[in-house]
Parts: sequence; structure tokens; C-alpha cells
Amino acid sequence: MFIRLVADSFSRRPRHKLLTGAALALGMAVATAALSVSLDVGDRLAREFRSLGANLLVTPQADSLPLEIGGVDYRPANVGAYLPESDLGKLKTIFWRNNIVAFAPMVQIQAHVLPMGGNWSDTSLIGTWAEHEVSLPGGGTFSTGVTKTNPWWRIDGRWFSENSKECVVGIEFATKNGIKVGDFLSIATGEVTKIPAPEKVIGILSSGGPEDNAVIVSLTRAQILADKLGQYRKLYVSALTKPEDDFGRRDPATMKPDELERWSCTPYVSSIAYSIKQVLPGADVRVIRRIAEGEGAILTRVRSLLWLVTLASLLAAALAVGASSAASVIERRTEIGLMKALGAASGTVGFLLAAEQLLLALVGGAVGYSLGILLARMVGQRIFGVAPEFSFLVLGVIIGLAAVVTLLGSAIPLRRASRFEPASILRGE
Amino acid sequence: MPDRKMFWRIIRRLLAANRGRLFVILLALGAGAAITSALLNLQVDAKRRLTTEFRVFGANVIIAPRDSRGSTSATLHQSILQRIPTRIGSNEIFSVGLLYAVMDVAVDSHARPQDVPSKPTPVVLAGYSTDIYRKLLPSRTLESSQPTGWTDMSLCYAGSNVARRLNLHARDSLFIGYHLGSLYADAATQAQCFVQGIDSYGGPEDNHIFVNLELIQKLEHLQGRLSVVELRIPGTPQEISAYIASLQKNLPDAEVRPIRQFTEGEAKIYNRISGILSATVGLVLLLTALCVMAAMTNVAMERRNDVGLMKAIGGATRRVLRLFLAEAALLGLTGGILGAAVGILLSMWLGKAVFGIAARPRLIVYPVSVALTIIVAIAGAYPLRRLANIRPAAVFRGEA
Repeated sequence: MFIRLVADSFSRRPRHKLLTGAALALGMAVATAALSVSLDVGDRLAREFRSLGANLLVTPQADSLPLEIGGVDYRPANVGAYLPESDLGKLKTIFWRNNIVAFAPMVQIQAHVLPMGGNWSDTSLIGTWAEHEVSLPGGGTFSTGVTKTNPWWRIDGRWFSENSKECVVGIEFATKNGIKVGDFLSIATGEVTKIPAPEKVIGILSSGGPEDNAVIVSLTRAQILADKLGQYRKLYVSALTKPEDDFGRRDPATMKPDELERWSCTPYVSSIAYSIKQVLPGADVRVIRRIAEGEGAILTRVRSLLWLVTLASLLAAALAVGASSAASVIERRTEIGLMKALGAASGTVGFLLAAEQLLLALVGGAVGYSLGILLARMVGQRIFGVAPEFSFLVLGVIIGLAAVVTLLGSAIPLRRASRFEPASILRGE
Repeated sequence: MPDRKMFWRIIRRLLAANRGRLFVILLALGAGAAITSALLNLQVDAKRRLTTEFRVFGANVIIAPRDSRGSTSATLHQSILQRIPTRIGSNEIFSVGLLYAVMDVAVDSHARPQDVPSKPTPVVLAGYSTDIYRKLLPSRTLESSQPTGWTDMSLCYAGSNVARRLNLHARDSLFIGYHLGSLYADAATQAQCFVQGIDSYGGPEDNHIFVNLELIQKLEHLQGRLSVVELRIPGTPQEISAYIASLQKNLPDAEVRPIRQFTEGEAKIYNRISGILSATVGLVLLLTALCVMAAMTNVAMERRNDVGLMKAIGGATRRVLRLFLAEAALLGLTGGILGAAVGILLSMWLGKAVFGIAARPRLIVYPVSVALTIIVAIAGAYPLRRLANIRPAAVFRGEA
């Protein structure tokens, strides 16, 4: 009998039910879309922030004080300490290995450069990986290099291959010395006794930084020229991190064991630095605050902004749905009166109406959820090129919200309806 | 005109007839209007605010002497700082002049002779023209102290790496200059500094000692000269590149170049964030409108009895419809005016919660959201048109 009453109510007034259901579905669609996008946006944006470059810098602990002005280190190659290149594969064995997006070791020395048919000039020589396959201790390789850590570097031509006699010239240095792609130049370090075999220029680099005035070669070439085979002086690491809060800023040395565990199980930039330090002996890992803290501040802002928008959409959806379910109860006064006149208790009537509303909430919520997921996919695809990940949390929240909102929306009119005098309603008063 | 008087009287009665329903409608419309205006206002403000947030990345543009990249020999004249505009739109531009020098530094071992290296070490000294520079660079202060009896000119800050290498602490005093302690020492190229603080920056600044610009100019015999000027230009990517172009035109003797790492990275992030913000706000507004409309339609559909009665006593379909649409417009206006005002206050408060500064109310947002609310209200009542073919008798018999 109960089911028949509910089914009857749906089939008798399909248009009304459709309208209430539509309001519900639309409201829940907004909520789903906004919720999926804001749940996902932190991870997506954290990846975007990597376009600003590395957020960790590894240097030898025993290093002498760098004399670095405007990105150029004026120390001679034989001053200061170096770190072994062979350890680099270990970076992908740390607890946060999947958060390490890219890294690039560097050797920077002052060199004498002689372009074909030109004069000797002094400039800085940078040796690094363009695109390098690092073999990992557990097997497999990881492809990384400056093309990944410094995505703003633009190259006209192509990057050198490993250990070839090829080089890339910074745009400023190239224009000053009239160097073009395909030219040859000789590179020497220290006292020049004879002119070394020339290297081929295969690309012109534009970076907007000090590299514009440098000559860039593969790491191995620079190591040979600096006489520091298998060693590097600086390592840039680009890692995905969680913005630091007060807890993340604490010094791990002062933490209790359980706090230390919680701290190292959160991808704060400082805890990633800490775990890198443990696999690279003799290394000093520093957080590039300029990048890391800027990223943290902006991510936190954007996240809270999006949560507000989501909250606003949930509120709007709740109000609209509440209003439409309230309206659908108000208009059924006559029916309620009739049921009561026929001997139904107030509780039974309320239960019947609540069941109807819940059924509507379930169907409307489900339709709205699918609609919202589609919308979220569209938005994610348009902006980040990747659809947000599916989350059961959103489904639960949406169905729950739909049920609560419809019940709350109809609760007040239902209470009033249960106090109706059947006689006066039936008389049309 | 009696006809108009009658019209308003009917409207008044329609509105007063059912307080509960009036409340539900106003709540739905008002909430829609509040959310519309709050989001619109916040969105405009947030994009602008975001560009100023980027200032934590430090300088994004450099002015360098021409043909001097990578060398420290060429310098700029200090007067260039006055030729840089201080504002772009309503945003402030931060600029700082820097003069670099590599000099010998020795710690005054008077207080603790045993643990301080006595030999002078070469260190990069950075003279900076304004204190904003250090405040803009995100850093963590490791040690700090209050100077007593030192002039402003002889205060300095050490980077964390320098402090570690030289075993330096706040409150120490430093000797800086050329040929410290040797036979060639010259009083005119030496000075003493008080270490006011030690900061960690995580960049090359950790290897620098920050000193007063005039002090280093005096020691280097480069009065009024700068190595480089660093600028932080706020604004959208387009505004920044336009500004760089105009600045280069004003400063033909120097080279203005963006630090691509930051200008490009910021542009990318700005576009993503403003895209995601516009998309979500657009989505929320569209669907909020649809929700409110659906709710309004539901409320309007139950007015069958009223329509039937009006037609029974001789109201033309057109006039009846006009009455209901006028009622809806009036409701939209009231709901809109109230809701939008609440929404703007809400957005100011939200702006304060997110960015720490109340969002500036944009006047254009107010009429736009009121107009949108009215449109939604009328569109929500429009399905009443279908009630035009209601037969009054059927309504009264309770059949429809």
C-alpha cells in the first residue's frame, strides 16, 4: 500500500516531480563539479608550479664559500668540494621518490672560448644534463635534465647528446661573438698552451638569466675540462610538495619520534630535503625559499578561494533545492487533509512524504552527480588537460547532501501540514 | 489612472496572500543574487590580488648596464632609480639598486679568539639601496640582535652559508675591505660592520653579506654607482610585458630584461588559476540560475487557482499573464537588491579571509547581479503562460 501510494504520487503529477527533481539534479551537479575540481586542484597546480623551476638545491657540505654574483660563480674549478655523480640514482629511492619530478646536476667553471675566426674571450662554462637517462639502483631508468627542471629555457636548434663534442651557446654570448648554429668553437681552461679540438655549436639558448652569456656542454664534457670526472658541484631538484604549515616549519631535531614520523610522512619541502640528505652523504640540501614559500603561499590562497566557491555553490544548491521541495509540500495540503480525514496518523503522512522526497533526492542526486562529473571533466580537460580523478568521497557527500537538503526543505512545511485540521482543508479554507 | 491603481492593488494582494510562499521565493532569489554578486566581485578582485601575491617570488625584471652580462666591471648611475615609475595602475612597483663586490672579510676575534678563523676570507658583499629588498625575499631569520652604538651605515646582515663558513653570529663585528691585515692595508678601503642578523634564503643570497649601499660605494670608490637594479612588477602577463617595453624606451642607456624563470612561470600559473576560477564561477553562476529558476517555476505552477479565478471574473489571458510577470519582476528586484547587497558584503569578508585584505566592492557587480536576478525570476514565472489555456471551471471543480 505504501509503495503504491508513492508510485501513484509520482505517476499522477510527473511534471511537478520532474521540476523538483530537475532543481535537485542541477543543484547537485554544481556541487559535484565544484567539489571535484577543488579536491583535485591542489595537485594539479602543484605540478604547474614546477614551471618555476627547482625548489631544492644540493651543494657539497665541505664546499668553500661560493663567490657567486648574478648566477656566475667566480671560483676556479679546483677550489671547493664536489659530489659524486654516481649517487644520483638514489634520489629515486627515497620515500618521496614519486614526488621528485626532475633533477639536474651542474658543473660551472670559468673557461676561455675561441670561436672559429674570432678572438679568445672568457665566459662561464656550464656542464649539465639536457636529457639524461639515470639508471636507478633498483633497476630501470629515469629520464631527467635541465629541459625538465628549467622549462623556461628555450633552445633554437637542439640539445647536445651525452659526451659528444657538441655545445649550446647562450644567446647573448652568441650575438656578441657572431656565433651561429653550425659554427665551431674551441674551449680551454686554465693556461692555454695549444688550441684544443673545436666543438660544434648545435643550439642557441635563451634563458633570460646568466646562462644567456655562457657556453653549455654536456656534464661529462665539463667534467673532463674541469678535471673532475664523475663529479658535480650543484644539483637542482624539482619536487612536488605540500605547502608548509607551522608544523612543517619545525626543526626535525626537536621533534618527538611520533611527530618526526608524521612530519616525514608529509611531503613538506623540508621533509623531502631531509630525506634527500640521508641518501646523499656529504651533501647539504637547501630549500630555495624564494620558490618554495611563494608556491606555498599562493597554493594556500587559491585552495581556500576555491573551497569558498565550492561552499557558495553548495549553499546555492541547498537553498534552491530546499525551496523547491518546500513548495512541493505546500501545494499538497489538500491531499494531506484527505489522508488525515481517512484516518491516517500525522506520523504516517509525514513518513510517506519524507519517503517520496528521499526517493526524489536519490534519483536527482544521482543524475546531478553524473552531470557534475561530466562538467568537472570538461573543466579539468580544458584547463589542465587532465580530467580530475574519480572520488567516492564526492559521491557520498553529494547523495548525503541531497537527502539532508530535501528533508530539511520539506521538514518545516511538513510540520505545519501535520497540524492541519482536515475539515478546514477539505472545505477549501 | 484607475486601471494602473487596480493593477498595483492586485499585485499587493498577490504578494501578501501567502507569507510562507513569499518567504520561500525571496529566499531562493536572494540567495541566488547573493552568491552571484559575491562570486563576481570576488573573482574580479582575486585575479588582481593574485598578481600582487606573486611578489613573494622576488624580482622579476632586471635593469643591467649594457654589454656587461656576467662581468662586474660596468655599472649604472644611481639616478636611474628615480627614472623608474613607482606605480603600475594601482599597484606599487618595488625597485632596489644593488652594488656587488668581492672583498675580504674577517671576524673581530676580540670577544672569542679561539673559534673564529683569523685569516680573511673573500666574500660577495651586496650593497642594497632599500630595506624592502630583504623584506621581499622570503627568508627565515636564524639569529638577530639589536645594535647599540652603531650607525645605520655600518649594520649588515649575513647569509646562512657565510655565517656557517666563518662561524659568524649575530652581534659579532666584521672587518671588511681589501688586503685586510696586510702591509698594503689602506684605511680608506676598510670598514667595520655589526652583524644585525643571519638569514637563510636557500639561494645565492646565502653566500652574501648584505651591507649598506653607501658603505660599499665608498670602499669601492664607486660613488653613486650600481651593478644592477632589480624590480618587482605586479600585474597580468600582458601588463608586465607592456611595462618592460615602455621602460626600455625610457632607459636607452641600460638593458631591461625580464627574468624569464619568473615572468613565464608566473604567466603560466596566473592563466591556469584565473582559468579555473572563471570556469568554476561561471559554472556555479549558470547552474545557480537554473536551480533558482526551477524552484521558481515550481512555486509558480501552484498558482493555478489564482489564474483560474482571475479568468473566471473576466481577466484577459494577456493581462493575467502580465500581472504574474510583473509580480515576478518585483520579487526579482527585491530579492536581487537585498541579496546582492548581502553578497557584496560577503565577498568583502571572504576576501579578507583569503587574502587578508577586504575585497574592494566593484560598483558594476551590483546592477549586474540585480538584473540577472530579475531575468531569472521572470524566466522562472514564464511557464505560467501554459496556464493560459486553463479552463476556470475545471480548476474550481478541483480537476486540474
